[in-house]
Amino acid sequence: MASAPGDRVERLTGALDLQTVPDKCVDRKDEQDDAQLVENARRGDRDAFGQLYDRYASMVHGILLARVPFRDVDDLVHDVFLLALPRLHTLRDVARFGGWLAAIARNRANDYHRRGMAEVEVELSDDTLERPSGTPASQTSVDTEAAAVLAAIRTLPETYREILLLRLVEGMTGPEIAARTGLTHGSVRVTLHRGMQQLRAKLAQLPAER
Amino acid sequence: MKNDYLWDGSGEPDPEIRRLEALLGGLRHSRTAPEFPPEFPKPSARWAGQRPRVEAAWGWLSFGAAAAVAVLAAGGVLWLSRPKPPLIPVAKWNVSRLEGAPRVDAQTIDAAKATGTLVAGQVIETDAGSKAGISSDEIGEIVVDPGSRLRLVANRSGVRHLALERGTIHASIWAPAGEFVVDTPSATAVDMGCVYTLHVDDSGDGELHTAVGWVGFKLGDREAFIPAGAACATRKNRGPSTPYFEDASGAFRVALSQLDQDKINPEERSSALRIVLTTARRRDAFTLWHLLSRVSAAERARVYDRLATLAPPPDGVTREGILQLDRRMLDLWWNEFGLGDVDLWRYWERNWSEQSRKGQ
Repeated sequence: MASAPGDRVERLTGALDLQTVPDKCVDRKDEQDDAQLVENARRGDRDAFGQLYDRYASMVHGILLARVPFRDVDDLVHDVFLLALPRLHTLRDVARFGGWLAAIARNRANDYHRRGMAEVEVELSDDTLERPSGTPASQTSVDTEAAAVLAAIRTLPETYREILLLRLVEGMTGPEIAARTGLTHGSVRVTLHRGMQQLRAKLAQLPAER
Repeated sequence: MKNDYLWDGSGEPDPEIRRLEALLGGLRHSRTAPEFPPEFPKPSARWAGQRPRVEAAWGWLSFGAAAAVAVLAAGGVLWLSRPKPPLIPVAKWNVSRLEGAPRVDAQTIDAAKATGTLVAGQVIETDAGSKAGISSDEIGEIVVDPGSRLRLVANRSGVRHLALERGTIHASIWAPAGEFVVDTPSATAVDMGCVYTLHVDDSGDGELHTAVGWVGFKLGDREAFIPAGAACATRKNRGPSTPYFEDASGAFRVALSQLDQDKINPEERSSALRIVLTTARRRDAFTLWHLLSRVSAAERARVYDRLATLAPPPDGVTREGILQLDRRMLDLWWNEFGLGDVDLWRYWERNWSEQSRKGQ
């Protein structure tokens, strides 16, 4: 992947001082706001927790979509927040809320597979995007193609999968992904570009209806 | 950097990316926030902290005489506004009998008493005919196979620390990454969000197999990252060997185990390294990455050249830097593999080390 000099500098700077990487790369204002929201939520402020939900639900949704069937993702998003709520007091560094929540989401997805869902592998590779009856045929066709692309993304390594879904499905930009997940800009940028390269190669192998 | 549509939407839109955005945008999250519980979990005996006493004090105050209100209220406000320690939940480990009669210290968990609890300092032990499960809603579940001895070393916020002295455990962990740590006589396993099996034999050597997610395995400065589908052995006083994907060829695995041995003559070692390098697949790049810090300087150049062919180093990573074992460059290269972000490991590793130091 070709990188601009600024990008390389950023990655090298991050690499040369890992202790400060997250602080340098996460949007400061977001971090401060999040910290305040987490503090307020810890004190029982449900509005604050609701605001955290509004900010982070897309991230959680993307992380789960990388791992579990589409039809179960929305319910699991709620599960993740309901799991996080009583655990907020265990969060040592309130500024790391995003990375902490992302870990809970990944582990909730692991748990989903662990709890005896043997058919999950089949479902993941043949995920249907269920819509209400009466959905126009054109929408069904779009859904079929979307399901095929989703399946292609899910064949990529886990790290690429997650970041690509946050970008292409949830509509988050690279800087937003970095800010929400606590990953470095450099790491997200590299993952995005390499993941997209691999996805293009996968899509080129799909049937010609695209 | 501008003009990078994929990165931040700037510049000329890439038609393929626009098409994918339009196609996949319909899957985007759109639900509103759920109704969160009307009350947060109330502090109770399970929760460390002072809030119950605070609430009791308020109740008493509201019942107090009016003459004292001004003074007490002022004092109370000051007292309540002081910095309070967060409420720390003490996760409880429940023990269940799966087979036979496992023991928690001297207590037997048998058919008559099929469940129990495990607290810090206690040991759960299974004989050849027994098997146990231990679980915590907030941490995960562990199956303890027959012939095992597992100690709960510490159980506090952010640190769930066990020690597997011998035997086998199967762990499915949903606690935040880095929180669940298992010591063995030959290395420490740090959960990074995963399902794994850990075995320790009577000599103290061990082996770890990861099924989901990834695990960090370390002894001192020697570390190994074991992603899903991979395994790693440990040797007492030596730490983690070189991890490998379990679907690697037999020749690759045998040669790799030879490289991990102390007693091997130079010819055999050179031959083993040649086999590892020539039979490595692209997927085995992560094994070669580990080898870089486990071989001599002369061998490292050979490993670098092969690894660079399988997985070209990213910008910022130089041959010279890698041959000098520059950790930052090594980490940058690792992140190229898509097996987990090592920055997260470093972050959690630091936190965990600090927590361990405080707790000991």
